[in-house]
Amino acid sequence: MSRKENCSISAALAAATCTLLGSGVPAPVDAQEEPLWDFNTSLLYYGEDGDRVKDFSVSAIARRMFVDDRFLTLSLTVDGLTGATPSGAIRQDVPQTFTRPSGNAAYTVPPEVLPLDDTFKDTRVALGAGWQQPVGETSLINVGASASREYDYTHVGVNAKMARDFNQRNTTLSAGFAYSFDSLDPVGGAPTPLTPMLDVGDTSNRLGDQDKDVLDLIIGITQVLSRNLVVQANYSYSKSDGYLTDPYKVLSLVDGTTGDTLLRTLTPGVAGPSHQFLFENRPGERTKHSIYGQVKYYMNGKVLDASYRYMTDDWDIDSHTVDLRYRIPFGADSYFEPHLRFYTQSEAEFYQLSIPDSQPLPGFASADYRLGNFDAITAGLKYGWRTRNDNEMSVRVEAYRQSGTVPSSQIIGNQAARDNYPDLNAVIVQVGYRF
Amino acid sequence: MQRDIRLDLAVDAWQGRFQAMGSPCEVVSEARKRRDALEVTSLVAAEAWRIEDKFSRYLDGNIVDRINSAAGRPVEVDNETADLLDFAVTLYRLSEHRFDITSGVLRRVWRFDGSDKVPGSESVGEVLQWVGWHRVDWRRPVLAMPHGMEIDFGGIGKEYAVDRCAGLIKELDGDPCLVNFGGDLVATQAPGRRRSWKVAIEGDTAAAPDRIIDLKQGALATSGDARRFLLRDGIRYSHILDPTTGWPIRDAPRSITIAADSCVEAGMISTLAILKGAAAEHFLEAQDVAYWCRR
Repeated sequence: MSRKENCSISAALAAATCTLLGSGVPAPVDAQEEPLWDFNTSLLYYGEDGDRVKDFSVSAIARRMFVDDRFLTLSLTVDGLTGATPSGAIRQDVPQTFTRPSGNAAYTVPPEVLPLDDTFKDTRVALGAGWQQPVGETSLINVGASASREYDYTHVGVNAKMARDFNQRNTTLSAGFAYSFDSLDPVGGAPTPLTPMLDVGDTSNRLGDQDKDVLDLIIGITQVLSRNLVVQANYSYSKSDGYLTDPYKVLSLVDGTTGDTLLRTLTPGVAGPSHQFLFENRPGERTKHSIYGQVKYYMNGKVLDASYRYMTDDWDIDSHTVDLRYRIPFGADSYFEPHLRFYTQSEAEFYQLSIPDSQPLPGFASADYRLGNFDAITAGLKYGWRTRNDNEMSVRVEAYRQSGTVPSSQIIGNQAARDNYPDLNAVIVQVGYRF
Repeated sequence: MQRDIRLDLAVDAWQGRFQAMGSPCEVVSEARKRRDALEVTSLVAAEAWRIEDKFSRYLDGNIVDRINSAAGRPVEVDNETADLLDFAVTLYRLSEHRFDITSGVLRRVWRFDGSDKVPGSESVGEVLQWVGWHRVDWRRPVLAMPHGMEIDFGGIGKEYAVDRCAGLIKELDGDPCLVNFGGDLVATQAPGRRRSWKVAIEGDTAAAPDRIIDLKQGALATSGDARRFLLRDGIRYSHILDPTTGWPIRDAPRSITIAADSCVEAGMISTLAILKGAAAEHFLEAQDVAYWCRR
């Protein structure tokens, strides 16, 4: 049959249908097959100011849709980290020399400069897989697995979550767990805690591989209060066991009166630390409790998303996080989303700026600034739009500023004149594309 | 027959469900209030049940029963029935006599239950004497056909009902709705709360995976024999019969889904394509319609 005759079939059918239905010309059909896969990709740059950490990260999440709301999700993230991070040692008015974590070389930090360990270079590859499916009419389960690998760290984990709707789907209760098993193989071996940093080539205080496991449990409730208002609350529990110490962090051993770092007797002909530094030690257990509340309010296309989290742990760290996002439509196909985040935490009970020689050696000690008392603020703006081929694109730019204080009771002698907790500034730029 | 309506709140829309014309039927509505969703579902269910009562060949006393039991006497029909008969005549012509509302009697010898019970050619030949629209005397509004023949609107009824219901919803000027009668469906307008209605077409084999269609507005209809066939000596006999021979259409796709402005058009194009057998895709290519074919 010729093409012309065939076309007259659909035309004749359309005319006959019009007569049958007795209506005008129906609106034209608009249908297309949904791709079974969708991809969410992003490029992220995180850069701290000065010579500190820079992270360039590429990630892709692929989702395969099946009928009946079942999904398979696969993810891949590759991070490239460079830059330096504070070693934990305090500033001095003389140059300080350190042995690198590898134990193979030494580096020197100029006077009055915060000692940074610049051997911080790594590539991390992380993989994840998840499966989601409804169970019966009102429940949904998710199961997943994750793994990541970097030079000195390997992670494997499993997770599962179940959610159930009640009350005509206005209430959702959920419960989930995640278990991860991580092993550390620090450069040069994990140092024996609270032992001194040794000369280049001396590995007598290095231990073998270390590991830790983390169990997370979460229970939550989501409640639709009205068409415009959804609230969520959850409680989470996290228990870490094993090697929780940072093998690259040290503390300065200082004079109990002047607060200056004690000099070390150098071995002739061998490079090694100029001062006395002790490797940090943290407890082998950490238990965290968090409560989280979130409100999402929808008003004429604008969406306010506000959340608060309180976390407390048995290391005596208490933290509060307030996160605010406000999504404002801009035209039909784009939006702006300002973002503000406030964070504050108290220091760990074993956090200390330095170890004075006048007192007995503590059981646990760390000068890691991340365990200190600090506040942080993040402010940013995201712009998202729908591309001409109906995909989604977004650009997010944020600034992060962290400032901390060391408790005055920990400051000894000359330390009072120095900036013991320097501010940290960072920028975050993220480009996302969803297709 | 059970005639009740169930109304549930799905994630972001109301889902009203009922049973009609041997199929599960649903109305997905973006109505804000339960009351409005119930109103639209009730309207649709009432219309579906009206059409079922009027045109089902399984019910006694309706117009189809009166025609089929007239035993050669002429029957005067109402306007709606006459419109459907006129439409069937057009399809009969367009399909080169393969779409024939008198072909239902072939089911006396063909029972598609997945078994290997293929009838003999004699019994097929015998029943063919009661098949063929050309034997019917149709002069609107009067129809007369030889004793023993039967008509059956089963090939049109469901699609017709979906379009009628969509028309009623549009008259109400209500919220966007999806009317779905056993896989033949119409979206009255694009949904307000998401990009499109997502319609899943289930795949029956690993080689023919599930499909998801984004439907903003318009109709989708699927024809096929995924579950109704006979299998004998390695030959698969489709439940779609060629009334000109009395035997199943050969080499037809297992399923054809068509997107068109109305459900009737979508359903009829998919049926006409199936009737083309091996040439189904060739036919569809020439129709300038969106289609998804599964072999």
